[in-house]
Amino acid sequence: MQLKQSKYISLLAGLLLFTIACKKEDYAIPGANSALSNDCIKRTLGPNIIGQNIEFAYAMAIPPEKGKLVSAQVEASIAGARGTFLEHNSYFTKPNGQDTGVVVGQPSTTDGTKTTVTFNRDTSAATLRYYYFIPEEARGKPVSFTFTAKSSDGATVTYKMGPYMVSKMDMVRNLTVKNNDTSYISIADMMIYTRANVAANAARIDLIYLYRSTPATFLHALVSPAADAQYLPNVTLPAGVNRSTKIRKVFNLQDYNLARLQFGIYVDDLDFQKLNLADAPNFAINMKGEAGAWIETADGRYRAYIYINSANENGSAVISMKRYDMQTK
Amino acid sequence: MARYFKIAISILLFTAGLTGCKKDAPVDDDGLLITSRQECFVSNLELLGSDFVTVRSKAAVIDTTAQTVNVEVLFGTDLKNIYPQFSLATDCKLDPKIIGKVDFSDLAKPKIYTVVSGNRKIRKPYTIFITVQR
Repeated sequence: MQLKQSKYISLLAGLLLFTIACKKEDYAIPGANSALSNDCIKRTLGPNIIGQNIEFAYAMAIPPEKGKLVSAQVEASIAGARGTFLEHNSYFTKPNGQDTGVVVGQPSTTDGTKTTVTFNRDTSAATLRYYYFIPEEARGKPVSFTFTAKSSDGATVTYKMGPYMVSKMDMVRNLTVKNNDTSYISIADMMIYTRANVAANAARIDLIYLYRSTPATFLHALVSPAADAQYLPNVTLPAGVNRSTKIRKVFNLQDYNLARLQFGIYVDDLDFQKLNLADAPNFAINMKGEAGAWIETADGRYRAYIYINSANENGSAVISMKRYDMQTK
Repeated sequence: MARYFKIAISILLFTAGLTGCKKDAPVDDDGLLITSRQECFVSNLELLGSDFVTVRSKAAVIDTTAQTVNVEVLFGTDLKNIYPQFSLATDCKLDPKIIGKVDFSDLAKPKIYTVVSGNRKIRKPYTIFITVQR
């Protein structure tokens, strides 16, 4: 009898547990924060390259009955380059997706590492964009940011972002190369030399841009001066232009920084560090628009990625380059 | 009672005997299924450059009798860094295996790849002759 009772009790307990155990919680809209609060996101992706900017959106708000916003400030661990600023517009997004700014304060002032906007409108909520232009001093170093907002009730909030590693590489964009004229490429200088001024820089030339309509598979080419003569048809090299640069063709690597197209691909420092061009040739012919090439200079000091923004049938092309100095500590 | 028990055990053992020892399908050293197929040939050869774009100037010519593949590549092809892609008859495999890029630059010594049939009993070596477009 006792055994039978305990069985019933167990069954009842199990049923009860089953009924109450998994209760679905209803969603409740979170209540508004009762004090000054803030939040931040980083808007830029990819490597942080010298001369480019890192963009943040810094949001701050206080209940209107508590007070209004007084100031917003960003402190970077390394002072930003010229052009670093905190917008004095607060942005909202229209239904059509367009970001629209509303002036909420005075234009920002930068003093060393600190950039400040002082509000001059009754504002209880704002989102300010911060553009940090990466200085040369930050090369290869981490940089972090402290965002601070102050309100009229004396409250202060801070939000830390980073650290973000600044890339060691350099970048140059939209260099026009032309067959038989502006066609001498120096990776060390990240420059294009013309036939007129190449003699003075002969020892710095790593590649020559060529365009040949025949054979049909030649077309746009990047050829090192020391390549076999069949890849330098009708080319008379200036004295001293004799480097053998390793080059490997790449397709479908439309680096976002260089191409500025819809592809979210980034060539970063690590790609250059891991690059192995030991068995690569010293020429690349039949290059297409939106293609590219990995490069290593003859002395092994520089590695680069050259992207072809456009290749034109008149024998010219627009190229962009990311370059990594292997000797940079 | 004991009688019912014996019957139940007998049925259980009989069922286990029927289903328990199924012979596994034979596989080779690579874990690939060995089938009864005897077909053994190359049906296509693609050659990709370091940019993974074809370097062929025209389709490869495959002679299954002479067991040769003749393929012409574009002028300026980097023959040290080629990714070959063989299409074989059903269930065949290739020896040596292709695990990455291959150096075809020594045109005087054409590479030989052996096709092994699905039943793993027939082996046919194919010689790959590459010429460069002029």
